[in-house]
Amino acid sequence: MDNHDDPRNGTVQPDSKKPKLTHPISSHELLHEFSHHQTAVARINNGSFGSCPRSILTAQTTWQLRFLQQPDDFFFNTLRNGILDSRKIIKNLINADDVEEISLIDNATTAAAIVLQQIGHHFSSGKFCRNDTVIIFHCAYQAVKKSIEAYVIPVGGSVIEVELPFPVNSNEEIIAEFKKGIERGKINGGRVRLAIIDHITSMPSVVIPVRELIRVCRENEVDQVFVDGAHALGSMEVDVKEIGADFYVSNLYKWFFSPPSVAFMYCNKNKKLNDVHHPVVAHEYGNGLPAESAWVGMRDYSPQLVVPSIMEFVNRFEGGIEGIMKRNHNMVVKMGVMLKEAWGTNLGSPPEMCASMIMIGLPSKIRVMSDDDALRLRFYLRVYHAIEVPVYYQALGNGERDARDKDGFITGYVRISHQVYNIVDDYNRLKTAIIQLLQDGKICSELPKE
Amino acid sequence: MASEKNNHHRSIPDINGTHPTPKKPKLSSSSNFITASEIQSEFSHHDSAVSRINNGSFGSCPSSILSAQQQWQLKYLRQPDHFYFNHLKPAINNSRSIIQNLVNAKDINEISIVDNATTAAAIVLQHTAWCFREGKFNKGDVVVMLHYAYGAVKKSMEAYVTRAGGKVIEVPLPFPVSSNDEIVTEFRKALEKGKVDGKKIRLAVIDHVTSMPCVVIPVKELIQICREEGVEQVFVDAAHSIGCTDVDMQDIGADFYTSNLHKWFFCPPSIAFLYTKKNPKTGGGGDLHHPVVSHEYGNGLAVESAWIGTRDYSAQLVVPEALEFVNRFEGGIEGIKKRNHEAVIEMGEMLVKAWGTHLGSPKHMCASMVMVGLPTCFGVRSDSDALTLRTHLRDVFGVEVPIYYRPPRDGEVDPVTGYARISYQVYNKVEDYYKFRDAVNQLVDNGFACTLLSK
Repeated sequence: MDNHDDPRNGTVQPDSKKPKLTHPISSHELLHEFSHHQTAVARINNGSFGSCPRSILTAQTTWQLRFLQQPDDFFFNTLRNGILDSRKIIKNLINADDVEEISLIDNATTAAAIVLQQIGHHFSSGKFCRNDTVIIFHCAYQAVKKSIEAYVIPVGGSVIEVELPFPVNSNEEIIAEFKKGIERGKINGGRVRLAIIDHITSMPSVVIPVRELIRVCRENEVDQVFVDGAHALGSMEVDVKEIGADFYVSNLYKWFFSPPSVAFMYCNKNKKLNDVHHPVVAHEYGNGLPAESAWVGMRDYSPQLVVPSIMEFVNRFEGGIEGIMKRNHNMVVKMGVMLKEAWGTNLGSPPEMCASMIMIGLPSKIRVMSDDDALRLRFYLRVYHAIEVPVYYQALGNGERDARDKDGFITGYVRISHQVYNIVDDYNRLKTAIIQLLQDGKICSELPKE
Repeated sequence: MASEKNNHHRSIPDINGTHPTPKKPKLSSSSNFITASEIQSEFSHHDSAVSRINNGSFGSCPSSILSAQQQWQLKYLRQPDHFYFNHLKPAINNSRSIIQNLVNAKDINEISIVDNATTAAAIVLQHTAWCFREGKFNKGDVVVMLHYAYGAVKKSMEAYVTRAGGKVIEVPLPFPVSSNDEIVTEFRKALEKGKVDGKKIRLAVIDHVTSMPCVVIPVKELIQICREEGVEQVFVDAAHSIGCTDVDMQDIGADFYTSNLHKWFFCPPSIAFLYTKKNPKTGGGGDLHHPVVSHEYGNGLAVESAWIGTRDYSAQLVVPEALEFVNRFEGGIEGIKKRNHEAVIEMGEMLVKAWGTHLGSPKHMCASMVMVGLPTCFGVRSDSDALTLRTHLRDVFGVEVPIYYRPPRDGEVDPVTGYARISYQVYNKVEDYYKFRDAVNQLVDNGFACTLLSK
């Protein structure tokens, strides 16, 4: 159902002028939209790299071609407005007050560098004191941890890592751990200067009660709160006013159907955070993060321009993005329950602490005993069963938290995702592959290494 | 070549199950160089109504390379995990290896791939800022740069060097310029200024080809002077250079050197390399870091730059195709450079003769671009005038060319204050420049002046 103008016919208007479809997307159309995905692969890892439907890739190609046709004209007359249009849509989606609070950047990794470079300056200038801290979850994304190492540690800051209880049973468990972490930060009169809170952790994947944790932060005079919502947009509701963070980032290419790659960064204007800069400095330096991010030197900015087309795409689904989120959540929980019952294991968190991803315990007999084992299993599933799913190793040692199945302790989990292109068979294949491994008596360390 | 026509088709092919093989053009034998009609075909996506004589700003990319890029994009989209784990790094290393050979670097670890020269500048200058912060450099130590340095680099200086306590000294350059000596003289003066009060010059940032006004700088000579005068390190911002001037790292002798491949080396937007000379004493590359920190932090700049979070890295993967493309031309990239240079000088001379003006620099100080004086009756009196004129040329005449405002000096009588920077790339034709010539002549006849257009 491709009714886009042929881009070979000269200048083409972007998709905002297309007539609205009056019927919800059919399963045939849906199949076509993702027909560039490798068939025969059970792609149940939307969480890592996301996915982008054909109609948005086509829209992106149209923008790219417009640039290539006459780049100067594009740069002077089209680019900035196109980015502004995208920013306005994001602002409405996340209930921000002002489009000036919205910047478009490549990804959440870039957002971390922006926030942490700024924190680093406060340490260098003496505004923050030696051994003031940044608080994060121990399972924070590795890039974020490294960014702290690069920007905060060398100038005297310290890190407090909060253990994420996993498997987890309730928000209260997380809040309690977080409060303990904050207390550690206040020892000897220290200040917690920045809290980095995942909205949805990556591995292991759990939805974090960010509102409550931010309340705890405000009560304890934490200077800045940065919510890393890398997975959030398109998998759960994001209302930045309600959440109350100073900085909020989410990728659009994971769950919001954009091509790689674009993310939005929200900076609360009431917080008057000055000195927030894109680390790649260009001629817009000092004109505000949105302007700085809109030109970081010569690049292909087309992913930042397709947000209007994304809205068109999601509105072809019943209930729009809300409908998609709801159905993804229901399906991933259903599939998760199906798998855990087939394997006799557990879920990593209750359904209300999941969005479009869920962690399912692997049978203890498979013996995931290390990160290396987890990678071997992942590789095995990809190569021998054409199943793409990340595997997580959870070390023992939490006492009563340690999950068990009939044969021993559960130390391995798979993180399954559900996006609109997934089918039940994807998950049945995973179920069968694991059962087959058990029947063959194989354990992870016996699996071939990449 | 029939395969070239297919490469224009930009819709997404239906590929299910089969691994797409990129449509590779046949390699040319010596008697089978790319023809004029094939060149036209390769650039048929350019707006044919526009005289595109500004390759210097945004570069250009032929269809066959765009197609190759699209193949990489599709490969990623098909199965991104597999791509990430198995394809991305080897493909980036392949590109790095080709660049290493192209620029005569000794060690592949000296070559990192980044988005653009702007990013490279942030990398180098952030390192300088750290040295100030850590006390390795003293407050007030100097970084020297050219007055005509690119705007983004100047801002990067402000953001990183000035902020960290460094002092920035600009080398004023004459323009129009008639010899390398004029530049060398000013450069020496600036170095003297930098060493006043016992301060050290920690870094010199030197353009290989300045952007506006556009002049080829004698970098080799300036670097020699830097070494003689005790300048600690030299960073060459050669944004235009690869595909436009010679780029031999051993010959030039810089510590850091960056150039964009999307300007004159036919790559899609965007890709640049940053060369960091391996320190023979420490073996390290100067401990530079990419400012966007990922899990590869600490594994060396090349590895850090190869993963800065989920991105479309496809522009970085088509360097092999770019090399194939240039080798379809007689003399390869050297032949292209030579012909571009001769053509742009010829066109420049044609224009200044038609308008009664002059070139901004002699031909040995030009590569594939030249500054052409505009008739003084235009009355270009500001940067804003220059932009207005540029817009007018684009909108009314279909000529795309950047205009530079050159402030008059004291005592000059009726000076030329407006220059156009014309570029010549393989897709250009003489008609592009005739169109420009005629547009300007028409404006002169109509009594055009910039003030008429300014609001």
